[in-house]
Amino acid sequence: MTLSHLNARGEANMVDVGDKAATRREATATGSISMAPETLALLSDGKLPKGDVLATARIAGIQAAKRTHELIPLCHQLALSKVSVDFEIDAESSCVRVSATCRLTGRTGVEMEALTAVSVACLTLYDMCKAVDKEMEIGEIHVDAKQGGKSGDYLRRSATAATATPIVTSPENSPALTLGLASAAEQCVRVKCLAELRERLGVGEASVPLDRLPSADVAGLKQALKSLDDRFKGLEEGRVLCAVNQVMASDGTRLTCEDEVAFFPPVTGG
Amino acid sequence: MIRVQHEAFDAGHEQRLMLEHRTDIGAVVSFTGLVRDFNERPDVTALTLEHYPGMTEASLAEIEAEARQRWPLDEVTLIHRIGRLEPGDPIVLVVVASAHRRAAFEACEFLMDHLKTRAPFWKKEHTDSGDYWVSERRQDHDDAKRWEVASQ
Repeated sequence: MTLSHLNARGEANMVDVGDKAATRREATATGSISMAPETLALLSDGKLPKGDVLATARIAGIQAAKRTHELIPLCHQLALSKVSVDFEIDAESSCVRVSATCRLTGRTGVEMEALTAVSVACLTLYDMCKAVDKEMEIGEIHVDAKQGGKSGDYLRRSATAATATPIVTSPENSPALTLGLASAAEQCVRVKCLAELRERLGVGEASVPLDRLPSADVAGLKQALKSLDDRFKGLEEGRVLCAVNQVMASDGTRLTCEDEVAFFPPVTGG
Repeated sequence: MIRVQHEAFDAGHEQRLMLEHRTDIGAVVSFTGLVRDFNERPDVTALTLEHYPGMTEASLAEIEAEARQRWPLDEVTLIHRIGRLEPGDPIVLVVVASAHRRAAFEACEFLMDHLKTRAPFWKKEHTDSGDYWVSERRQDHDDAKRWEVASQ
């Protein structure tokens, strides 16, 4: 194992990524800021002197992710295709949990951007609340999941358990999962699990190479998912509905590459 | 008009907007659904609504188109909220305008019955004793089915 940011002489070195193939990269980082229960109550009731704390921290996190290269010396400037920052107010532990997801199709990973977004969102939360609480503590900042790239996919061990607790502000909080060693060049089917099913399986999004499907239909996809990851055995429990490209579908519905297949429980709106 | 939004809506405002400068409408029926503080458990403190962006809007448009095929309707407004809501908050609005009352009454019910059983929305209820996803209700499906039997 070598450090890519050091050259043969041990000097700082910006890695030349010009020859690497552009692939789809995504990273999710999380962190938290603990505070007095009274501060948390003021925050969730919107009664802090500086105004809407979470909205401000979200914008700060997104802006910071885009400017990571200005802060971290050897980071490349990236054209991120997506940055999302979400908050979960955890009254039990009296803290705000922050999670950030960055995505791009490019030649470098985006975990530094996700970590920067989380860090700056936490700092902004501190700034917005410090008038009433100076004891706040920022901590537990780490990468939860990373997909794409030469070093392969990474899922932090505790992150599997963490995704079981929902972040209510975001419907897409579980990190995406790439199954069967899919690369961006390969033809994939994109899978989404929604609502109760996402939380029960602990998977929000996944992509499966089309050639891993025993048959090019929904039944074949389910079979492939179950053999690639045990969590998808849960697709057989209870009533699970399916939509292909946002139209209701059944086991026999044919699939082609780049189809979006969503699995979800019976609807309960209104 | 179809909207899926976080913000609250004002039923009166939406209805006035619909009827502005119209003198051909003879009946308008409006239904507002509210968050109850009891459901599967007696102490619901909040609920979180999730949807499937894109498909939800398309599904509402399809339900509206079916209603327009069955009844002569002048205007239809469907608004459904998403995100975190608290007891007493308005959650869904259906406003139907027609020349005559029967069409407006029936179409409003038809739209709600189908919205509840077909549009991709999911409710999670928060209570003091924990959070859980709401299960589908048999009654909602029976309500939607009665429109199949009645062949106009």
